[in-house]
Amino acid sequence: MSDSQQQPVELANLAAAIERAAADLSLAEEPSRFILALEEGAGEEEQP
Amino acid sequence: MTDWTIEGLAAAIRERKISPVEVTRECLERIERRDAQLRAFITVDAEGALATAKTLEAEAMAGRWRGDLHGVPLAFKDLCHIGGLPTSCGTRTREYFVAERDCTAVSRLTAAGAVTLGKLNMTELAMGPFGDNAHHGDVQNPWRAGHVSGGSSSGSGAAVAAGLALGALGSDTGGSIRLPAACCGIVGLKPTYGRVSRAGAMALSWSNDHIGPMARTVRDAALMLRVIAGRDAHDATSSPRSVPDYLAGIDGGIAGVRVAVAENFFFQGVDPEIAGGVQEALRVLAGLGARVEEIRVPDPQPMNDACNVISRCEGAAVHSRLCRERPEQLQPVVRARIELGFRIPAHDYLQALRLRARLTRAFVREVFAATDALVVPVIPEPAPAIAQATAGEPREVARRQGNFSRLTRPFNGFGLPALAVPCGFSRGGLPLAFQVVGRPFAEATVFRIGRAYEQSAGWHLRRPPG
Repeated sequence: MSDSQQQPVELANLAAAIERAAADLSLAEEPSRFILALEEGAGEEEQP
Repeated sequence: MTDWTIEGLAAAIRERKISPVEVTRECLERIERRDAQLRAFITVDAEGALATAKTLEAEAMAGRWRGDLHGVPLAFKDLCHIGGLPTSCGTRTREYFVAERDCTAVSRLTAAGAVTLGKLNMTELAMGPFGDNAHHGDVQNPWRAGHVSGGSSSGSGAAVAAGLALGALGSDTGGSIRLPAACCGIVGLKPTYGRVSRAGAMALSWSNDHIGPMARTVRDAALMLRVIAGRDAHDATSSPRSVPDYLAGIDGGIAGVRVAVAENFFFQGVDPEIAGGVQEALRVLAGLGARVEEIRVPDPQPMNDACNVISRCEGAAVHSRLCRERPEQLQPVVRARIELGFRIPAHDYLQALRLRARLTRAFVREVFAATDALVVPVIPEPAPAIAQATAGEPREVARRQGNFSRLTRPFNGFGLPALAVPCGFSRGGLPLAFQVVGRPFAEATVFRIGRAYEQSAGWHLRRPPG
């Protein structure tokens, strides 16, 4: 299979993986909650 | 020169046992002697480095000290914008990237007295973990020529390991600091997302990019981080958290520290020499008083998938002009990667970003409720031969690239601090390494564990030939 034929397959695999994992995401989930996850997960040791 | 640490050299300069001009000259002579073979540098700024060193020497004679790095020669990955020097980002275009102002991390190091030796080689556009580069030469592993240096901060890894520079800056989007550190037998830190400003450095993927230090010892990496970390008005993602003194408790030992080893994912398909090296390192940590236990971590593969989608989309957006206008200038595997990014639907990109938030929350909660740090391998095999790693069709090379960075990439998505530490050598004489991963902003803990191991094991005292 050539690279140009292979690309749609790779694309489909990536899309399928994301769709599977994101299937039950809460409606409230949004990208900026990633920063919140870091802030909330920080230990007391490194608090300002 | 190959025996100095940053800390030791800075102290010697302060005590006037050695001068900034002397050490800068020695580095430049080593570069002249070794780099035709190593290919670690893209630009050597001998004139600028000596001029800076002379100024710093005059200031030292007058009793004026700029900071912790006064007179220490460093070098920077060629994606950091530094006024007056070209920034190719590993492409064929000499001045590919120009920023409004100098890279903040570089500026902070030079403000603390560092001397800039030049700009370091890297994988084209930071896309690839092996350190091969058709335009500027494949960076050679200082421990064994013909083997990969790791990438994409390939020149940073090789230059520091070979003693051409005392320390370097790298960038890490999927492992690009830790992979070359592991392949070259040095220390490399990917800090917490937001800990170090990325302003003035070429973006590959805003969501996954991190700038961090690469050095021969954990203490030197901690010293560099102390200088470059902290809020920067020019990078909105930089954290306002205060920067602790990473050297303050670094020698405090690890008695009672909880260290977990992941029983799933991170050892699957890993070369037995790598796995053995990491297991031996865990025994050393236990001997130093750490409470080592095996845990099952949430599967990192969905985060790898999310990172792949995010990095490809953002990378395609950043470099679309180059890819559309001068595609023939890109290496085939880099071009294929960007072209894939053009074709990923916006829906998948946004779902991946949403997914990342949830996966991070779950991983941090679950793993760090039970432990202070996670120890896992960095590379799945000792640095492979360049010819073997880069042979074949772009899709085959891309598959190999993804496999080589599968143990580091999840922590870019999670945004967690991860420190690569050398832990011995393979039978073929190539470095082995593990990474210590901490909770968000727990760089001090990660350094303390790495330092305790390093002092006990002593691998940092070995030098590559030449």
